[in-house]
Amino acid sequence: MSEKKQQVSRRQFLNYTLTGVGGFMAAGLLVSPLRMAIDPVLKESSAGDLANVSLAVEDITTEPTRVDWKIDQIDGWYESQVNKSAWVFKDENDEIQAFSPVCKHLGCVVSWEGSEDYPNEFYCPCHDGRYYKDGTNVPGTPPLAPLDVFEKEVRDGMLFLGEAKPKGEA
Amino acid sequence: MYWKKEDINKYVQAKEYIDTIIIPLIPFQLSQDNDLEKNAFQSEVLTVFSGEIERELTGRVMLIPTYTYLKSADKESEAARLNGWVEDAEKQPFNHTFFVTFDSSWKKHEQALNGTLLWLPGLQTGDLHSKEMHAIIRDQVEQISELVRSYWH
Ligand code: FES
Repeated sequence: MSEKKQQVSRRQFLNYTLTGVGGFMAAGLLVSPLRMAIDPVLKESSAGDLANVSLAVEDITTEPTRVDWKIDQIDGWYESQVNKSAWVFKDENDEIQAFSPVCKHLGCVVSWEGSEDYPNEFYCPCHDGRYYKDGTNVPGTPPLAPLDVFEKEVRDGMLFLGEAKPKGEA
Repeated sequence: MYWKKEDINKYVQAKEYIDTIIIPLIPFQLSQDNDLEKNAFQSEVLTVFSGEIERELTGRVMLIPTYTYLKSADKESEAARLNGWVEDAEKQPFNHTFFVTFDSSWKKHEQALNGTLLWLPGLQTGDLHSKEMHAIIRDQVEQISELVRSYWH
């Protein structure tokens, strides 16, 4: 008697449980369209976010100027503020260019006209690496690739920069 | 380059391009109540500062782990230990050695050091994360890296 009672209650228990699981799955189905609707929004505010570099577009000239800004970065163990820099100018088509200052040889910081001997070029002081104004590496100098290019956007007349990508990919 | 796995792997493959070491010298002493705050602050600033120089010149410079010593220690014997580090690095070879510090007491013992001492004056206290401090550090970093570069020519 007591055994039967127990069996029933066990079946009931299983029933409840399965309903529970089914309920969960149903809830999952309901949630996922919602998630899909929200996800792109979530993504935009986290990785790949563009930062305001405090430079008004109207102040950008054809002379490359260095801009510095900070971003918060979580990198494994460390959460820290990272300093970023870019060389920004308008090219002959009046388009904004923003190059990473990191030399493609071994990573030193390059400067616009950093050497008197090479006017109108970016110059890397470490091993005399050179780049033309459009970022292309000067053949015969150590760097083997053009300077990386920042993702960029103009919002309300201000320049926003994101990540630096190899030229042609940004 | 830093003393960490990723950078060292790069270093090993490009040894001929990396010929300069920078060693930060940071005093530490808990028994000197009056100077505790100043010393701790300068330690923070120098760490940021050396990191910025490293970033500027990473392809040619190896930033050595900070040399830490008691503020009251005898500088001659500290210099002897430091020269041991330098001698070891020179076998690689590294041709240029720079020591960076806020501690002026090294100035008197400059001759004993096997390398170039870059003593940075000032910065007793302040807010490391303020805009002003950022500008000061940027400015100093630029000047010091220019100085380092002048040794390369
Ligand atoms: S790091 Fe720029 S030329 Fe070597």
